[in-house]
Amino acid sequence: MSETPILEAKGICKSFSGVKVLQDVHFEVAPGEVHALMGENGAGKSTLIKILTGVYTMDSGQIFWEGQPVQIDSFQDCQKLGVSCIYQELSVIPPLTVAQNVYLGREPMKGPFIDHAKMREMTQQLIDKYEFPLSPDTLVENLGMGQRQLVEILKGLSADAKLLIMDEPTASLSAKESESLFDVIETLRSEGVSIVYISHRLEEVYRLSDRLTILRDGKNVEVLTKDQIVPAKVIETMIGKVVDESAGSRKMLHSDDSAEVRLDVRGLTDATNKYRDINLQVHRGEILGIGGLIGAGRTELVRAIYGVDKAASGEVWLDGKKLDPTPKNSIAAGIGFVPEDRRNQGFIPLLSTVKNVALPNYDIVKMRGRAIDDGDELALGERAIQDVDIRPCDPAKRVGDMSGGNQQKVVLGKWLMRSLNLLIVDEPTAGIDVGAKDEIYSILEDLAKQGVAVIVVSSDLQELIRVSHRIVVMRKGDIVKEFKNEEVTQAMVLAAGQGVESGEGTAA
Amino acid sequence: MKQATLRRLISIGMLLVLVVLFTILSGMSFLNSTNLINILRDASVVAIVGVGVTYVIITSGIDLSTGAIMAVVGMVMANVYAYTLWPIPVMLLIGVAVGLVCGLVNGFIVGKLHVPEFIATLATMSIYRSFTYIIAVRDANGVIQSQPMVVRDFTVFGGAMWLGGVIGPFYIVTSAALVFIIVGQIVLKLTHFGTNLYSVGASKKAATLSGISISKTQIIAYVVVGFCAAIGSIFTIARLQSATTSIGLGFEFDPIAAAVIGGVSLAGGSGDVIGMAIGAIFMAALDNGVLKLGVNTAVQYIIKGAVIIAVVIFDAVYKKVMDKRAKARGAGAVPAVETEKGVAA
Repeated sequence: MSETPILEAKGICKSFSGVKVLQDVHFEVAPGEVHALMGENGAGKSTLIKILTGVYTMDSGQIFWEGQPVQIDSFQDCQKLGVSCIYQELSVIPPLTVAQNVYLGREPMKGPFIDHAKMREMTQQLIDKYEFPLSPDTLVENLGMGQRQLVEILKGLSADAKLLIMDEPTASLSAKESESLFDVIETLRSEGVSIVYISHRLEEVYRLSDRLTILRDGKNVEVLTKDQIVPAKVIETMIGKVVDESAGSRKMLHSDDSAEVRLDVRGLTDATNKYRDINLQVHRGEILGIGGLIGAGRTELVRAIYGVDKAASGEVWLDGKKLDPTPKNSIAAGIGFVPEDRRNQGFIPLLSTVKNVALPNYDIVKMRGRAIDDGDELALGERAIQDVDIRPCDPAKRVGDMSGGNQQKVVLGKWLMRSLNLLIVDEPTAGIDVGAKDEIYSILEDLAKQGVAVIVVSSDLQELIRVSHRIVVMRKGDIVKEFKNEEVTQAMVLAAGQGVESGEGTAA
Repeated sequence: MKQATLRRLISIGMLLVLVVLFTILSGMSFLNSTNLINILRDASVVAIVGVGVTYVIITSGIDLSTGAIMAVVGMVMANVYAYTLWPIPVMLLIGVAVGLVCGLVNGFIVGKLHVPEFIATLATMSIYRSFTYIIAVRDANGVIQSQPMVVRDFTVFGGAMWLGGVIGPFYIVTSAALVFIIVGQIVLKLTHFGTNLYSVGASKKAATLSGISISKTQIIAYVVVGFCAAIGSIFTIARLQSATTSIGLGFEFDPIAAAVIGGVSLAGGSGDVIGMAIGAIFMAALDNGVLKLGVNTAVQYIIKGAVIIAVVIFDAVYKKVMDKRAKARGAGAVPAVETEKGVAA
């Protein structure tokens, strides 16, 4: 590009306690382009963004803004330049209204006081402009996750930024909400706003970006222009090895109705109608995918099967025995559960791998009198590290300090230590890099081969099709469609989830 | 209805139930203008200090040192009174300055040294209280004396107004509390600082990412507590007409309790000054009514404690129910739209 880049970072280096996280990274964004930034977890994307937005200070390197060297040390510096960031971890304040959140820290003032009326009006204008389903006066605590993400996006847009950085903006958006975000991005691009777009979702990157910078192990390995962005090449560059990423459609595998039924859900109904009269069977060695939009009742359903939340009516049978679903009973019956909200529900961040793995398994850890045999506990942890390839293989490392992929492996690993009959996985790879995704899929496939019944809930259509033997799609609390023994495309699953008859013409 | 509005109605309802209950039990000796004015007087110092404490609790902090700050402020003023001939307003200003310094120290320990609020203010409570004994006015034999400070010594406007006295039917302290509550509420709802308090309390991470300085917000909040405690101390001494080392002993409990009863969540991020004020009146009415019934004063504390536990349990259950409803709404395709008139949040 011949134009002066709006932002250019040269020779950026950053180490954390001796570990080089970024080495001589070069990154530039041209005016009005959508520039994607990709890389596996731990490749240094977030660190780079935090340096560019003044959260971290770089060890060496230089940043140029419109050709001039600048120092970005704080949020205020960013604002002055016109850099705005939509962070991956939501930075909305639940007890405040949508309007208060959008203008947080930049409230319009009338004398010494915040001008609430003006703030509401300005927010309403933004909402109208981008057609978001929000109201300025709603308290954010009354919004769902997808809508909170929209508030976060609105906050970034409200600053009239010249450069907008989006870190995994679609992570908690439904397909429909993502679509409206993509429209927003197109509008911004046409207005000349530069966008840095970070995402694990490859198809979004292919669709949106003008250029793509790929980071690997803290170094930038490639900058691709639009015509060079080819899926196979991107993935290869990102992880440095060839991966089989199957296409968007696949024939469902052996759905053998005559196989032994392991899980039998009969007429499960929620008290608040999140799911209604659900009948579901999972066979020996089968991976059942549950698709549908966020809020379709999928998470609520699997939580009820495991027994975290109680269903109002209905029965859960496992291997011909009726269960009284509570987590304790479910664990005893050989059911494992990997929840959607990994960080808050999947593991204990401050505890080590060993302790996290042992947590649901103290019935099988040897005892020395009344005390836990810590040797046996350690052996269990080490076995899990081996089995699911947790890196670093330090059994004492706090799980909270690991990358998302390794955290998920710990969560899976603890269930693999038991003899499982049913494993329920909710959004198995949300926020996890491509390499680790593949490893998690093969763990699930191995389990199925051993005869375990597996349920996978996923909003990632590619993943759902890739991993499932059979797919059911939920919409507004009902199972509306079942795909088995047939060719399935992402469009078909999406169409079923949205209640459209034919999948043709619906973008995935 | 909005969650906060409903919670407000509940605390007003609790207060009304209490008034009705005591009226039934003790008749007009409870429900008469003199007694009600006394209740408001008793609630006033708690409400004044409660403004600062509410701020701190909204940031998800706590301040256990308010009673001790009141004692230090009082004892410094007693020293000024006993050993100098400086005019009364100067003595009062010195008292306020001491309160501000105590608050600043708390704020520094919490905001800059990152000591957890509970332990930081527990420690300064001990330090300030000890300091009070060290500087206490003593007689020739070194025995601690309470320093009498009579009516004429607590006057302002050239002796025209005694701080322990009345304006119209109400005590001056009640009027002062009203000013604190109104200003406190306005600052909370209409300024950057107020919004920052909620932001810091709800999510420190999110507040940081929005460019809000956590430590600055915390420090200012604790300085406000110091200021409020100094004013509280001045009115307490004006009423007692003497400064002793035991001023504010056990007081720290009251503003925290008032805030909690009034719907200020100890988890941070919610509640307001008006709620706290209702809580302060509730506590004063409870004390007064129980006394009128002739119940042993020692039992009062059991009742207060039980009420607080009940309120906290109620709030936890209530929050669970509301969260569930919010979740149910959030999951739907149509957003929940609640409009809100006037002051936001």
